[in-house]
Amino acid sequence: MVDNIIKLLEKYEPNKEKQPFLWALYDGFHTFLFAPNHVTKAGVHIRDNMDLKRTMIHVVLMLQLCYLFGTYNIGHQHFLALGEYTGFLEGAHLKLMYGLWQLLPIFVVTHVVALGIEFYYASKKGHSIEEGILVSAALIPLIMPPDLPLWILAIGVAFAVIIGKEAFGGTGMNIWNVALLSRVFIFFAYPTEISGDEVWVAGLESTFAGSAVEYGWVHLTLFNGLFGWLGLAQFDPGLTVIDGFTGATPLALAFAGGWDAVTEVYSQSQMLWGAIPGSIGETSKPLILIGAIGLAMLKIASWRIMLGMVLGTVFTGMLLNFWGATPFMTVPWYHHIYIGSFLFAMAFMATDPVTAASTNRGKWIYGFLIGFFGMIIRILNPAYPEGWMLAILLMNTFSPLIDHLVLRKNIQKRLASA
Amino acid sequence: MELINIFIKAAFIENMVLAYFLGMCSYLAVSKTLDTAFGLGLAVIFVLGITMPINWLITTFLLSETGLLGMDLTFLRFILFIAVIASMVQLVEMVIEKYSPALYASLGIFLPLITVNCAILGGSLFMVAREYNFAESVSFGLGSGFGFFLAIVAIAAIREKIRYSNVPGPLRGLGMAFILTGLMGIGFMSLMGIDPGAIGNS
Repeated sequence: MVDNIIKLLEKYEPNKEKQPFLWALYDGFHTFLFAPNHVTKAGVHIRDNMDLKRTMIHVVLMLQLCYLFGTYNIGHQHFLALGEYTGFLEGAHLKLMYGLWQLLPIFVVTHVVALGIEFYYASKKGHSIEEGILVSAALIPLIMPPDLPLWILAIGVAFAVIIGKEAFGGTGMNIWNVALLSRVFIFFAYPTEISGDEVWVAGLESTFAGSAVEYGWVHLTLFNGLFGWLGLAQFDPGLTVIDGFTGATPLALAFAGGWDAVTEVYSQSQMLWGAIPGSIGETSKPLILIGAIGLAMLKIASWRIMLGMVLGTVFTGMLLNFWGATPFMTVPWYHHIYIGSFLFAMAFMATDPVTAASTNRGKWIYGFLIGFFGMIIRILNPAYPEGWMLAILLMNTFSPLIDHLVLRKNIQKRLASA
Repeated sequence: MELINIFIKAAFIENMVLAYFLGMCSYLAVSKTLDTAFGLGLAVIFVLGITMPINWLITTFLLSETGLLGMDLTFLRFILFIAVIASMVQLVEMVIEKYSPALYASLGIFLPLITVNCAILGGSLFMVAREYNFAESVSFGLGSGFGFFLAIVAIAAIREKIRYSNVPGPLRGLGMAFILTGLMGIGFMSLMGIDPGAIGNS
């Protein structure tokens, strides 16, 4: 059976010389399913099943829990704003379908743009596609707000892939994290679409009380028809945003009024489990932790970086608690671990093996400094609500320098003891 | 405390290279290897740290109306600043030639060119425009020198690393350096907007 499929596929393999784009496309999808045709023939090589593609697929697998929760949470936040189905599991089919219909276009656009550019460059340079792009494309939807216009998303992804990755020579060569570059590009170019209180809840005209929902043909005709046929609750186009709903994230509340202002709106368990507004994939902390532990156990992500980052954050948090000059500074350090996107950044962004420092001692320094700068930006910088994206990009800048200094120190030590 | 604020602000928040894009010529030209970048960075810290207080003394005691000459000579500011910077660079050049001939050879023409490094003249002019006092001008000079040092050392380490990458032909060399500078600027934007002096006062 499988042999026949492989034979069928090989029959249609395009000529690499004549149709480079088609060949890159063929080879890319062929190796999703089967081992590549081309193997090293001469010399001695270490062979390991854990090749680049498997490594990348493991990261994508670890993200699936975040995707699942993110999809549901988009719908949950949408209905919370309307004051309907306020229990987490009430109206589950509506929330799931709503979230799916919101997330799917973001997912598809990211992958089409990123893979399209990747296939173009692969055919141009005459190599098979590099799988690193799949991880970046899987991460990007998770760090975007659910209501982001798709053309802005496409521009951000194109910028990150072309300038942040292909200009450096492709997978494994980039200095800055590709997923974060796409987000930072949108953050600085279209700030109103990705920050503030308005953007974290999908499908509303605005978050002011009384503003209407925006349902399209798909919700009202297709989904409602389906749900009506099944005898389930339907989307109601007459709903409006309830009084007292703000859409503000815990960080925005904490910046204005300290920890008390946060707990007035969100309970601690809500923030821990993630039923709060935020970027799509970063809200649920236990699911992210599962992914983080999985990645650390598979030795894809470095536990040194994660631990270094936690230490840096705790240290800086204590330092700022001690200073305590603004309301945000008085928020106890242990709360900082689970508000905002600290855990997501720690598990999936800072540990990117390409852009992080690669020496062991360098990883400790790198992680610690990300924690330090992230907290400084989060708490002291009034211009940005959250610090991890920019802190990681800042430390990406310095990771080659950290590696260089650690290596030089090791060389000197060996020379001295020789 | 005020002095530390000025130092941190000049080094990280308003970095000469990455926030104002001053001093680009030597920054781009001497950042191919880490060792020369390190040497140039130290030279810039020294020159900025020395010229800033000297220029402060000149503006306050020679050029201002309340100074020793009793005349408003601010139109001579540029010439005098350049003269001070040039003579300081001469001094640095002689010291480096004496103690580190290898660094002297690798820095080449770019060492005397620190004279026309816009970061250094720009620093002195910022110092005048922001009306720093003597101690503040020392702190500002050292801070902006340290910021330049950090930027040039970081980009040199990155450029040493991407020497092994398959960068597309047209971007090799200077093109890539410009892209790197832009992306580093994004990284440094993380601290922009923090006002160390105002925290806790509001």
